[in-house]
Amino acid sequence: MPVKILSVDDSKMVRLIVTRAFKKFDCKVFEASHGLDGMATAAKEKPDVIILDVTMPVMDGMEMLAALKENADLKSIPVVMLTAEGSRDSLLAFAKMGVRDYLIKPFKEQDIVEKVSRIVTLAPAPAPAL
Amino acid sequence: MNTDLNALLESAAATVFTTMLSYTVEFKQNETDSFLDGEMVAGTVGLTGAFNGMIYLYASTAFSRCITCTMLSMKDSEIESNEMVNDVIGELTNMVAGHVKTKLDNGGTRCIMTIPTVVRGKDFRIAPVSGAIRKTVYFQCNGGKVLLEALLKPQN
Repeated sequence: MPVKILSVDDSKMVRLIVTRAFKKFDCKVFEASHGLDGMATAAKEKPDVIILDVTMPVMDGMEMLAALKENADLKSIPVVMLTAEGSRDSLLAFAKMGVRDYLIKPFKEQDIVEKVSRIVTLAPAPAPAL
Repeated sequence: MNTDLNALLESAAATVFTTMLSYTVEFKQNETDSFLDGEMVAGTVGLTGAFNGMIYLYASTAFSRCITCTMLSMKDSEIESNEMVNDVIGELTNMVAGHVKTKLDNGGTRCIMTIPTVVRGKDFRIAPVSGAIRKTVYFQCNGGKVLLEALLKPQN
């Protein structure tokens, strides 16, 4: 079974980089462009890990995090915050909200892979069928 | 404002352009607004709180496309629309503003960031209102020119 990762970010660029980062692993990456869309995808796909931006339109990352924690079916999904805001106050807020880890933008592909691999086992992608 | 805003902008530009694009950043001193002209794309992110204002990242349209190609590992012909370029420039501006905000916050000057927006046009600059601090850094990377500017006004 591939590891299911949900990338929630209003930047298509960031979602593309996250998707590309996990291409060599047996993963399926789902994308959402804001928190509301992210909640719907999380409920439908039950991802193993959520990679979540903070500043987004419609529903921001902190609002989505609060909504996840209030949802009995989704509250145990590990969340990695991927954010441009790395102040001490922000990091404290993440910890209080029970996020598993965080990564501050700018970031490299291997940084996000490393964070996620601390949470789930990433196996190499299966060889394409001949 | 005790923080050296120029140094903060240079640090933000170098960190973001080196980490995300693997570009070597070369800062240019004593430049003027004529450093960059013609068709441009400018990413903007607002800061509000102890300081109100905007962070702008300007690049020529051609260099913005080059940045997009590097970022997304694609050829220029594969860029589907201006929206793709806008997204990349907007997100880079967001990362630069995030770096600035983090340093200001950790220094006790708390601000909130807005989501990024992008402006396109020819030979334009955004002018500050009176009382605003204006700091501009000019740099070159990968053969292109970039102008990074902060227009900030302390909250009374």
